[in-house]
Amino acid sequence: MIRVFLLRLVKFRTKLYVMAKNILEVRNLTKAYGHKKVVKGISFEVKKGEIFGILGPNGAGKTTTLEMIEALRPIDDGTAVIDGIDVSKEPYRIRNIIGVQPQTPGFQDKTKLHELIRMFAAAYGRKVEPKTFLDQVNLGEKTNSYVEELSGGQKQRFSIVAALVHEPKVFFLDEPTTGLDPQARRNLWDLIKEVRDRGISVILTTHYMDEAEILCDRIAIMDKGEIIALDTPKRLIKDLLGRGFKKAQHVEQANLEDVFIDLTGKELRA
Amino acid sequence: MIIKQKLYTVWVFSTISLKRLFRDKLALFFTFLFPLIFLFVFGALNRNNSVSFNVAIISSSDSAIASDFIKSANDNKILKVNKEVTDFSSANQLMSRGELDATIELPKDFGAVKSNQPSGQAIVHYTQNNEQAAQTITSILDAQFQAMNSEITKAPKPFSVTKEQTNKHSLSAFDYTFTGLLGFAILGAGIFGPMNYFPELKKMGILRRLHTTPLRVWQYFLSAMLSNAVTGLLSIGVMFVVALVVFDLKVIGSYLSLIPFLVFGIVMVLGVGLALGGWAKNERQAAPLGNIVVFPMMFLSGTFFPRFLMPEWLQSLTFYIPLTPVIDGARMIMSEGKTLLDLGPQLGVMAIWFVIIYSIAFKVFRWE
Repeated sequence: MIRVFLLRLVKFRTKLYVMAKNILEVRNLTKAYGHKKVVKGISFEVKKGEIFGILGPNGAGKTTTLEMIEALRPIDDGTAVIDGIDVSKEPYRIRNIIGVQPQTPGFQDKTKLHELIRMFAAAYGRKVEPKTFLDQVNLGEKTNSYVEELSGGQKQRFSIVAALVHEPKVFFLDEPTTGLDPQARRNLWDLIKEVRDRGISVILTTHYMDEAEILCDRIAIMDKGEIIALDTPKRLIKDLLGRGFKKAQHVEQANLEDVFIDLTGKELRA
Repeated sequence: MIIKQKLYTVWVFSTISLKRLFRDKLALFFTFLFPLIFLFVFGALNRNNSVSFNVAIISSSDSAIASDFIKSANDNKILKVNKEVTDFSSANQLMSRGELDATIELPKDFGAVKSNQPSGQAIVHYTQNNEQAAQTITSILDAQFQAMNSEITKAPKPFSVTKEQTNKHSLSAFDYTFTGLLGFAILGAGIFGPMNYFPELKKMGILRRLHTTPLRVWQYFLSAMLSNAVTGLLSIGVMFVVALVVFDLKVIGSYLSLIPFLVFGIVMVLGVGLALGGWAKNERQAAPLGNIVVFPMMFLSGTFFPRFLMPEWLQSLTFYIPLTPVIDGARMIMSEGKTLLDLGPQLGVMAIWFVIIYSIAFKVFRWE
């Protein structure tokens, strides 16, 4: 009797421990369109306060996976639990604790930035002071501008701050730096790290390996609907080298991007 | 508390989309000026609403009576005499084109004195399609000749008729058209607006982005209703002012009945736009379906063609078209002085449609 109780207590404590450590737990997540399985029962965890990257070629199932976790697409099988809340059971509670930056951020035109911030906050039932949020991403002076007047990088920064107005616990970004110039990319990396340092867990997809290497604490590589590798970037590289991989290499201390940044400076444009 | 919070969301969304409308010149044009253009066109067409006939007079007679007759015909308000036509070939040409309704011929012996009295017979020439006009013109001339006859013969006139205007106001052609234009404006704002606007928002991924927030469809719909009701009322208000000032519109009923009635009409019709725009993935899907829905509504609900001209079976059928009770009701309030209490059948049909339309709209709505 006491033994059973103790066993349960131990189980409960491990559960608490896991819950406290992992912000997201995905178990056996599956999605099929017709007969084609695009996500084939994948499982992974994301720890609190880490930047987690999902890499993979186009059609690997990255976006579908994200959309299922974001409660945008019904889950066929398996579970996704964010901060102890089951995504398919309580999608509206989930939406309150996640922020989403879609691949191409779209905002309605002829609307001023401060109005859009107020709108997004209102969607969560919140009233905010738009200026303080815009200041966070250096857009304080653009309070009265329209979105269509922003550059690509400014739009991405705005999109990020708009997704964070409700202080979410998890932040999803789908290919956040695609199409940005090197300066804007670096700026966005810093911004994403700042978000992480505020205690928000970040989950992002990207096609840029340098970005994944610099930014992500851990990455999952997906292909054909399955996770084929999951670890820190360092470990993945080490493992590869351990398997006897060698690149025909002549060691150079700089690459073309270093040249570009050296010539044009790190300062953010537009 | 939670409801208050959710309504705050609705409030912010609707006020911002209102502001947005006033920054959009194209939207402003279609909301305010476009209905006004229609108003001016139809108003100008209806201004001159007395019946008249275009005729030519060809006289071969040079008698004094003939010239007197021509002079009085020129003064006649019902006959519009085209003075440029002097021979039959050009008269026939104009008649076959429909520019003339009939040609009045005064033969050579018209007005000639026979057995101490002047006499003569005028001939009304008309084409196949102008039978009615010819008959009316003949009876007008007949009346005129009767007067001349009694003048000449000095015969007593035991029977006569005279006319007197009652003070009761009846529907003028413009009053009728105006409610039709109201219907047209409601259709335009309520259906074409969201039908074009939603697919655009979907294309830009804006609805998809909103879908990642806890925003509910009903909140989004309610904010659309609010902002649409305001713009619809403003646009209709402008039409009213112009109609009252320029076209002498007569409104008998109370605005206290009219305004809530129109708001309900706008919101109900908006549901059709929300259903169409909410369902369509892109503009190409929305446009054809929109036309299928809008055009029958426009032509069968009495917007432009009075329903009482339709055959009986079509009249009873078209009573159940969503827009019909809106237009009928507005007409009854404005020109018959009815109140909301008298509009039971109209409000009933509208309420049923409201439930049907919005159930469909909620069901088919897609965020992307």
